[in-house]
Amino acid sequence: MPTQASSSQVRAAPRRRREPWLDWMVLPTLVIMAVVVGYPIVYTVVLSVEDYNLLDFTPADYIGAANYAKLAGDPIFWASLVNTAIYTFGSVGLSALLGLALALLTENLGGARFRAIRALLLTPWAVPFVVVAFLFRYMYLQNGGIINAVLLSAGIIDAPIPWLNSAVIALPAVMIANIWAMTPFFFLLLSAALSAIPNEVLESARVDRAGTWGMIWHIKLPFLRNPLLISSLLMVISNFNDFAKIWAMTQGGPGYSTSTLVVYVYRLAFERFEFGYASAVGVIWLIMLMVFAWIYMRALRMENR
Amino acid sequence: MIRSQSRGLALATISIAALAAGMTGTASAGDKITLTFANWAAAEGTTRPGIEKAIADFEAANPDIDVVSEAISFSEIARQLVLRARSGNPPDVAQIAGNDTALLGFTGALEPLDGYVSKELAANLKQGADAGLRKDGALFAFPWNQSPAGFWYNKDIMQKAGLDPNKPPRTIDELDAALAAIKSSQPNVIPLAIDTTNRAFALSSNWPWMQSFGAVPVGNGATGAESKEMKAYLTWMREIAKAGYIDPGRKIGEFRPLAAQGNVAFIWDQVLLKGVMQGASGMSDDDFYKTWGVTTLPAGAGKPATFEGGHQLVMFSSGKNKQAAWKFIEYLTTSPDAIANYTIGVNSSLPSIKETGDASLDAALGTPVFKAFSDEIIPTLAPQPYGPDFAAAATAIMAGVQEAVTGTQSIDDIALSIQQGLPQ
Repeated sequence: MPTQASSSQVRAAPRRRREPWLDWMVLPTLVIMAVVVGYPIVYTVVLSVEDYNLLDFTPADYIGAANYAKLAGDPIFWASLVNTAIYTFGSVGLSALLGLALALLTENLGGARFRAIRALLLTPWAVPFVVVAFLFRYMYLQNGGIINAVLLSAGIIDAPIPWLNSAVIALPAVMIANIWAMTPFFFLLLSAALSAIPNEVLESARVDRAGTWGMIWHIKLPFLRNPLLISSLLMVISNFNDFAKIWAMTQGGPGYSTSTLVVYVYRLAFERFEFGYASAVGVIWLIMLMVFAWIYMRALRMENR
Repeated sequence: MIRSQSRGLALATISIAALAAGMTGTASAGDKITLTFANWAAAEGTTRPGIEKAIADFEAANPDIDVVSEAISFSEIARQLVLRARSGNPPDVAQIAGNDTALLGFTGALEPLDGYVSKELAANLKQGADAGLRKDGALFAFPWNQSPAGFWYNKDIMQKAGLDPNKPPRTIDELDAALAAIKSSQPNVIPLAIDTTNRAFALSSNWPWMQSFGAVPVGNGATGAESKEMKAYLTWMREIAKAGYIDPGRKIGEFRPLAAQGNVAFIWDQVLLKGVMQGASGMSDDDFYKTWGVTTLPAGAGKPATFEGGHQLVMFSSGKNKQAAWKFIEYLTTSPDAIANYTIGVNSSLPSIKETGDASLDAALGTPVFKAFSDEIIPTLAPQPYGPDFAAAATAIMAGVQEAVTGTQSIDDIALSIQQGLPQ
């Protein structure tokens, strides 16, 4: 009984301490959020229902859902959406797998050796994305690129491969650069999560004679589930909005084979100045990301229950 | 005491005089006109010293005018100028080029310049220099310099391939034969350098090639992307790509160092190429003329054509110092010093005026490359379909060109997809 009483007291304590005026302290944050996040979102929605071209100095016309109707029949939008999905989920999925594998492989390394290997593995994450893009762009060059030079001299290929100039392999080639840059993020995060697994749990598994795979599958992966979900959500959002790498490497080409939504929006807004139509794409894009984040968070919450 | 009083009086007199002088100075500084000049010349290492010198010389000649140079990169300037014009704070004068000039003209934010151009200056402008710079008859941009593209050929590479180095290809058939000879004799040389990226500049650069085949996919007199001429052009592009005669996906600027190293046989590039190659290779003028020649584009079913890659100067109608702004525009365009130090010196382009009034400058313009551009290439300048729809057309057409060059889709399907992507 006394134990129950004390626990209810503990639970009730924060309520007693609550001061209503403290709620108002959040107001400045809300105002700032409304200005820097809310206003641009609302204005984007407003622009998306207008025929708004930046070159036309006359007031924009309200056109209702016409931009959205145009979007539905726009093959470049759909091609960009498919490319975005392949680029995002492909890159995040493979990076997470590689990061996990590296984290597991280096888990038992200790001392200076581990520090050196970890520093080496983390290097790509420290390279700015634009530098990564240009690095790979030059390595991928059909004539004079180091990748083709090595493959040719090793006799693996007879003719240079048009890495970024083929509509078929350009997207995978860009994804490889992206995976190279992103894998260290997963490695870092999962290494930290692995080291946080309680020793008692691992010891118990060893006592029960769990093998390496059993240990990974039944003990470590369940512990890594939440960090993996959170980190991949962050990376999905980040890759959905990834402009620098694709623009610097292919500008969305050849054809539209590497054009993603962000590249398409850039072309619409800043080459064609069609802000109304670009905003409609932006709104759809925002909704998709919000739905995705909601599903993810829901999955996470269910898991926690 | 008297001495102390007189010393005080003297100090007071000096103080008042100094104050008065200061006030006069302030008043005179306040009378100075400040011009803002948005340009990319100051943003690029090669041209920065030249434009800074031209501005300093202008300020020295016009002590009542201060020029504030705003360095903006070439790829950003159109966006920034449109946004600034819309928000009511454009610069007084801006450097602009290509379709961006037409876009700014379309906004109606530019000051018509006809009223500022004297009869003498109008008469001294090269024929066609102001082509495409008028809207409803009004001149909205002034041609600062001319920089058309020419067909550059490396005589050494031609000779090694068994070709006559003094007879560059004049037709597409002759070009095909020359490309084949070069590829078979020198496999490591890029036979033809052309820009096949997907950007507005690439369409400008490829437009004359399309015209060479008689194709006009968009604009005045358009026959569409599904015309037999356009399909012939796309088919030819596919064939030369498959044969390894071109290196797809490179910007034209990325070919320049390779050309300077003697690894490119033919390059479709602007007049500035000479300066860039000499800067990279340290080649003397004599050696350059022995190695490189430039002429008009080989023609297929159509006529040889070229595009104007020169720069223009514009003045915004909301500016408060229009007379001073025009004085600056006129100085940059016509002053022999500005032409020598900037236009020819660092920008490696041609002035837009016929007579510079300076014998040494006229001699510099008589060298083989400049002469070939002035006498042979500039007369083939053809208008481009510039305007608000150009960027959308460029995306559609160059995506199709890239598909033809790198993909496997049939030419008919590519032509259809270009046609569907063109602005209606």
